[in-house]
Amino acid sequence: MFVTNFMTEPVHTVGPEASLSQVKELFGQRKFRHLPIVDQSGRLIGMLTDRDLRSAYPSGLMDENEKKAYLKRFKEMKVSQIMTETVAKLTPKSTLDDALLLFDRSRVGALPVVDDQQKVVGIFSIRDLLAAYKQLFGLGEKGSALIVVQDDGKPRPLTRLTEALENRNVLFSQLIRDVLSRPDNGLGLIYVRVHTHNLSGVHAALAAAGFYAVTPEAS
Amino acid sequence: MVWDFKLFHITHSRYLLHDTGGADHPETPERLRVIASALAGLNGCCRLLTVEPTPPEKEWLLTVHAAEYLLRFEEVALSGRSYLGHPDNQLCYESFEIAILATGAGLTGIDLLEKEAGSRVFCSVRPPGHHAEKTVALGFCFFNNVAIAARYWQIKYARRRIAIIDFDAHHGNGIQSTFEEDPDVLYVSTHEHPTFSFPGTGYAEEIGTGAGEGTILNIPLLPGAGDAEVKNAFVEQIIPAVEKFRPEALIIAAGFDGHQLDDMSGLLFSTELYGYLGRKIAALGDRLCEGRVISILEGGYHLPSLGASVKEYCRGIMERRK
Ligand SMILES: [Zn+2]
Repeated sequence: MFVTNFMTEPVHTVGPEASLSQVKELFGQRKFRHLPIVDQSGRLIGMLTDRDLRSAYPSGLMDENEKKAYLKRFKEMKVSQIMTETVAKLTPKSTLDDALLLFDRSRVGALPVVDDQQKVVGIFSIRDLLAAYKQLFGLGEKGSALIVVQDDGKPRPLTRLTEALENRNVLFSQLIRDVLSRPDNGLGLIYVRVHTHNLSGVHAALAAAGFYAVTPEAS
Repeated sequence: MVWDFKLFHITHSRYLLHDTGGADHPETPERLRVIASALAGLNGCCRLLTVEPTPPEKEWLLTVHAAEYLLRFEEVALSGRSYLGHPDNQLCYESFEIAILATGAGLTGIDLLEKEAGSRVFCSVRPPGHHAEKTVALGFCFFNNVAIAARYWQIKYARRRIAIIDFDAHHGNGIQSTFEEDPDVLYVSTHEHPTFSFPGTGYAEEIGTGAGEGTILNIPLLPGAGDAEVKNAFVEQIIPAVEKFRPEALIIAAGFDGHQLDDMSGLLFSTELYGYLGRKIAALGDRLCEGRVISILEGGYHLPSLGASVKEYCRGIMERRK
């Protein structure tokens, strides 16, 4: 559940004195869009995105002379002039949930991961987050099915449900109790991802524990 | 074309000996018994001929599976262990040899079709096959019977373009992975939506890769879907896709676990739907590939509905057309 398991490393960085044309070349060559800016000892001092770069680049609306002058200036401009200095960041101890909340709040596409000394150890993008949750949810892996059962309203439903599965050695991964979107009868749904094709057997075991599978419906 | 209306039912008594351990395992020998007795009830509408398959040469298995997988499977079976890979894939001492014989049904059926155009062929086999991958047994499947039959048809009879229609309630991940880069094989599958259903593949997004892009058509159905959704998929998507592909032969992965009484999926198909599928598929095969259609059993675990559905399906494929 930690970002370090899913982040991109090693990460490409440049110093604040790098020129914009150097950085432009770098973005062109490689497949990333977020560049941490570091000082001589590798400590994070800012971030530069391909978007920052594009907005610093002469616009198509300028006339030729204007453009030429601007382009000349652009070539001489340094990263430190357009980078974002106060950036949201993660640490090697950040969890995926930390990252999700930070993405939700900060409106950036990738977050640098820095250690105690502020040294950049990796970069974690929204794509990395998707890949992490995809893996944790078992998406794309072959061999599982999601069973949806009605919470029966009796005490300790999850205990009884997992016991029923474990007693017959059904391997399961996700277990989600949906307490927020309850149907009209006031009872929630429980989702469990079982890693078996013997769904008949799973249904029988659940029924013996008092649970019934329901047909999930889009509302 | 002269229609001599024969239904070849290809099956073998040795298929009953593949032992899945009893307990609550749904893939039982009883499945083939109920099919045999249900099909016996068809006599009168056609000539039902039960044929035993010949065991195929191992080279045909190697068109789909890796040699080291065959060795591993054989070793696990002969060593007396009870499953291969996952406890779902229960087996016994004879299972390796029986699984090979199961692949033989398709090949024998193809030989018959090539000799006697206009016949109909239904293969009642176990273990089933469509979840089996090159090196992986999955979901009760060991060898991919349908995929091997497709390769056999291509290589032995030079029928290069093969269309596979899979109406089992589950996605045939093994068929898809065998052919996803192959432009000469079209794989079309209706199945319960992979978010809910085993094995978790078969999203509409998966359309084939590389040269095979566009030759996979996945039609996921939400839990609760029934006859109307399937009929709509056939008319709107499946028939046009197969027509456009212009296959020389048609292989049907015929699974009956989408039946409303079968708790292996949340689909709610009626017994009659399988008659509809049989008629549509036979008509498609007659129109596009001179009747070269073979159906090979996949799932179907609720015994009374399995017998009734297979019978209804076979009645469908036997129905005379003008
Ligand atoms: Zn199935």
